[in-house]
Amino acid sequence: MGRTVGSKLGPLRAYLPLQIVVPVLATVAAIAVGLVIIASTGTPLEDALSAFWDGMAGDIFNIGASINRAISLGLVGLGFIFANRANLTNVGGEGQMAVGGMFATAMALHGAAGLPFGLAYLVPLAVGALAGAVWGGFAGVLKARRDTNEVISTLLLTFIALPLVYWSVQSFNLLRKPMSDVSSLPESPEIPDTTKLPLLLPEDQTSPLHVGLPLAILAVIVVALILQKSAFGLKLRAVGLNSIAARRAGIRSGSLIIVALAVSGALGGLAGAIMILGQQYYLTSSFSSGYGFDGLVVGLLSRGSAVGVVVGALLFGFLRSGSINMEISAHVPAAVVLICQGLIVIAIAASAILIDRRARR
Amino acid sequence: MALLEITGLAKQFGPVVALDGVSLTVEAGEVHCLLGENGAGKSTLCNLIFGVHRPDAGAMAFAGRPFAPAGPADALRLGIAMVHQHFSLVPNMTVAENLMLGRADAVLRLGDALAGLERLAGEYGLRVDPHRVIEDLSVGERQRVEIIKCLLGNPRLLVLDEPTAVLQHEEIDALLGICRRLAENGKAVILVTHKLAEIAKVAARTTVLRQGRVVETVSMAGADMRALVRSMVGRDVKSADAVLAATIGIEGDGGAAGTAPAAGKPVNGRASPAQDTRVPALTIEGLTYRDADGVARLDAVSLVVKPGEIVGVAGVEGNGQTELGSILAGLTGPTSGSIAIGGKALAGATPREITAAGAGIVPEDRHAVAMVPDLSIAENLFLGMLSRFSRFGLLDRGRMSASAAELMREFDVRAPGPDLPMSSLSGGNQQKAVLARELSLPNMVFLLAAQPTRGLDVGAVEAVYGRIRSARERGLGVLLISSELDELIAVSDRIVVMYRGKVVGQMTSDPANKEAIGAMMSGHGHV
Repeated sequence: MGRTVGSKLGPLRAYLPLQIVVPVLATVAAIAVGLVIIASTGTPLEDALSAFWDGMAGDIFNIGASINRAISLGLVGLGFIFANRANLTNVGGEGQMAVGGMFATAMALHGAAGLPFGLAYLVPLAVGALAGAVWGGFAGVLKARRDTNEVISTLLLTFIALPLVYWSVQSFNLLRKPMSDVSSLPESPEIPDTTKLPLLLPEDQTSPLHVGLPLAILAVIVVALILQKSAFGLKLRAVGLNSIAARRAGIRSGSLIIVALAVSGALGGLAGAIMILGQQYYLTSSFSSGYGFDGLVVGLLSRGSAVGVVVGALLFGFLRSGSINMEISAHVPAAVVLICQGLIVIAIAASAILIDRRARR
Repeated sequence: MALLEITGLAKQFGPVVALDGVSLTVEAGEVHCLLGENGAGKSTLCNLIFGVHRPDAGAMAFAGRPFAPAGPADALRLGIAMVHQHFSLVPNMTVAENLMLGRADAVLRLGDALAGLERLAGEYGLRVDPHRVIEDLSVGERQRVEIIKCLLGNPRLLVLDEPTAVLQHEEIDALLGICRRLAENGKAVILVTHKLAEIAKVAARTTVLRQGRVVETVSMAGADMRALVRSMVGRDVKSADAVLAATIGIEGDGGAAGTAPAAGKPVNGRASPAQDTRVPALTIEGLTYRDADGVARLDAVSLVVKPGEIVGVAGVEGNGQTELGSILAGLTGPTSGSIAIGGKALAGATPREITAAGAGIVPEDRHAVAMVPDLSIAENLFLGMLSRFSRFGLLDRGRMSASAAELMREFDVRAPGPDLPMSSLSGGNQQKAVLARELSLPNMVFLLAAQPTRGLDVGAVEAVYGRIRSARERGLGVLLISSELDELIAVSDRIVVMYRGKVVGQMTSDPANKEAIGAMMSGHGHV
């Protein structure tokens, strides 16, 4: 009975640094193992490492690109912890990103370009978020009305979303660009310049960092406020911990579940829209390329904290940039980097268990 | 030499001192009772013996050897079995499957489990259908499965943490019989209870705990019951109170049992129902509920609760009381029939609408329905009215905690602070918190109290019934569902009896009617 009291009132000050130190050590250890694997493939370690560092943060361009990646990962991770507060596991970030990107592209190509005051890009972003909300909210409706497990429904909805995007760039009636002699790839035309996200540092043009960053920071603050300070956040927690007692207390758990998954999906949709409007500028069938699933891992590792999502998103964003460059310039297979990433996930998760166990003593 | 020897045991949970230098011995061949109020440390002591928690200080010896269990597995291996206050059964598995769980052998032998079950049924009269699924069983039946599970392991020491709180009278007698027989076979039994009558029936010795310390250990031969109550509560209790006497299971002072509850009673329905033109607090007409298999759990139930009266619902558990409570709470929709609270039709309404109509609900299952154990006390108190504490959607936690502290003071909820998790409170204080929430709703007309004293001990039971009575004084109609017939008779103005989903009779709560009510509860003698 007193266990929860103990862990809450435990020596917080001694516990906090451990919470940071252990995952960092675990990450370093995982990277070390990765280096051993890289060395065993025959690539000179210093080549691989310098390529990795260049890709992550070698110059102002690469830093910006890494942060841009972190933005999308972080938004999906935020969505995950939002739904997870109600004990809902949204694993469909990838699908929500896909529909978000698709509808944002459609909006940017057809109608938004002429809008004034930044609405040219804000409206497509909103439409992308709305599409993600519908996608996530649908899983919520299934859960609330038919008690369908949301892990399964969000995952299966992803398997519907990805082919939908593929279809949209395959069909000339939808988003595929007209056939020309230079290009016949199944992709959308480039979106109009007015709908592209403005750069944050327009004067030097060397950093790709765009206005998605302040938007993402705003999202982090809003989500953290809702989860920690608001009545809605407390209701989410109550439904997640004991839905019957929450219902008895007068909370409409059904609509709460739908809203939770819709908001979660909206953040995923926004991530997808930002990827298209912020860096890719045209829709391809696999534009989300696993960001949704990486974002899910970021959410899982953050253990429900918005700050944790920021840290995790930056870590994964920089790692991804580094690994892409390592593959291009040092010819280290991308698979090795993926293995490292997996090791980091396991190391962080294991260190979390370790910390929990110690805190409980 | 004692089978179990405990010296100087201490345990602290965060700021709460649960046990403080507890020493006692348990002999082979004795039933040793632990008596104490909520939060006195009885459960903690049991959990230390069974290895659920580890002591901060002190030592234990079992059968002459030092005993420091790292977990329940250690205790089980040495022959210590425990039945917990809360069930440890897998709800969607059958009785037989649950009995096979946790056995050491790699192969599951259904035959062995059934044979063991048969043997125990014969030996102790503990009968239960091995092929039924746990979640279909009543609370009392689940408790029986727990006990069977322990006895199958043939323990040397059986620890029973408040086992009788959920059992029916015959079952209690059977269980006490088991305890006696185990003791006769040279085994030791530790029995946690607050029913003095039970202690008098089985205990060889009784240890009284108060605030984590041993007050005294007395041999039951020639012990003074009132002295035991005094050591348990730490003060003289109002000895004439019939409710208290019913709670602790001793005979009240002859005349007092009849007059005390009547003293503060308003003139109620049984005097002259025709004159009462007030809107009833609760009207149920033809309420029927069929479960998924089409079995009628409630069969055309009709009853009326008037303002300012307590109507008791008596019945052996599993005769529709749970379903009635769940429907009144708005958690289950009735198949047919009507419900009106304060004149407002509410059949099939949501919990929110029911609360808004002025109905306070104290549900039967405190942990699953009445509260969210992992949320704080303040959060639990105000979960249904968060808008009162929020501005622009943001919660004013300071104001919420302050209001919670006030409500806790008013309802005597004892806890170090309103921001501790609800799960850190003892059962009695949890129930007081639930009552605090349900009785402070606006515009109240009705209170449902379903098994409100289950698992609580004397002090808490007194407090709970005190609240229920003052709710009646405020003019609320109260429907009190309980399987404790003595308590019902002592508290209610009128008693309806349920049997197989039907209301089979109605009686005044005269103690003289006890036998007739008992007969109706078992399906005999419609009156």
